[in-house]
Amino acid sequence: MTVTVRINDVEVLAEEGESLLEVALRAGFDIPHLCHHPAVEAIGSCRLCLVELQAAGREELTTSCNVRVEAGMQVITDSPLVRQQRAANLELLLARAPGSARLRALAARHGIQAPRFEPPPSEGIQNCILCELCVRVCAMLGHDALGVLGRGEKKRIGLPFNQPAASCVGCASCAAVCPTECIRVSETPQARTIWGQSFEFAHCRSCGAPMLTERQRQFEIEKNGLPEDSYDTCESCKRQQTSQRFAAITW
Amino acid sequence: MLVVYPGRCVGCRTCEVACSFAHASNGKPGPSRIRIHPAGPERFVQVTCLQCVNAACAAACPTRALRRNEVTRAIELDERLCVGCGLCEAACPFGHLQFSRELHLPLKCDLCGGNPACAAFCPHGALEWR
Repeated sequence: MTVTVRINDVEVLAEEGESLLEVALRAGFDIPHLCHHPAVEAIGSCRLCLVELQAAGREELTTSCNVRVEAGMQVITDSPLVRQQRAANLELLLARAPGSARLRALAARHGIQAPRFEPPPSEGIQNCILCELCVRVCAMLGHDALGVLGRGEKKRIGLPFNQPAASCVGCASCAAVCPTECIRVSETPQARTIWGQSFEFAHCRSCGAPMLTERQRQFEIEKNGLPEDSYDTCESCKRQQTSQRFAAITW
Repeated sequence: MLVVYPGRCVGCRTCEVACSFAHASNGKPGPSRIRIHPAGPERFVQVTCLQCVNAACAAACPTRALRRNEVTRAIELDERLCVGCGLCEAACPFGHLQFSRELHLPLKCDLCGGNPACAAFCPHGALEWR
């Protein structure tokens, strides 16, 4: 059902139940956000998409990514209170992830050059803001290899019990979506190393170029019931074969 | 519909340049989605996305980031939904979709939203938009 919400005094049409952040972004309002990805459930962990919300008798400062749109909502995306809280959250995130260029730029836009805080030394990966976007994406892809380890100041992201995990296929989607680009991936023509595990690439049967990791290829073949020789040719060789087929038809 | 006539192609690669500029970002020309493949002496084939009816790339995408634009009939990429798994590249049986490790995104022909630059700039009528 289509409903109307007021964002910064502008009437915006939305589908009931949509993420408020998605609706606001689509309408052109600039709300900073790091942990939100439209492909997975929003959990409001980075706390940057704060807005002032008035709806059905309640009035609150809330993250907008995990609020579902209802008819008659009134939203303010930028106010002194929103700016102050957003800046405070940014300062805390920046203290955790000073190495993130994206976070530094965002903080600078909110008047923060250097954080006043210093987090305790972490056993986890550097520059991680614990937003769990990697964990959610990994689960959505059906691997469910990543999780949250430890509690309190020892909280960190990793493979369960910090041990090699059979469920990780080395697809590196976690690294691709990470908002602070803190997940290290190293590649040679033979293998990709991520989360301390090394994954052999599947190689093109024509030219030997690396493609998906062999583990990811096997996972997809099994999941989709594909023939064993699926995904065995690289895009460049497939393109070459296509051009030959077109040539055979033409001449 | 984008119609490809390999018999008319002289291999000038103007289409590749047009595509690069049509898909420029951050002030830089982007990687071309269309490629010219030599197929013998003075023979060239333009290899570009066929926008398949049952598109393997779209079927393989776990986040439905690749979806049909019902107006242009192109399978378009919604960059915001992409998680960079690379399955679209593996799934395309024709090699038309290349996953850019640099951009963490697939390079997908979007028919330029309904006015493909490759066809508009082809000086030999080897690519036709109709």
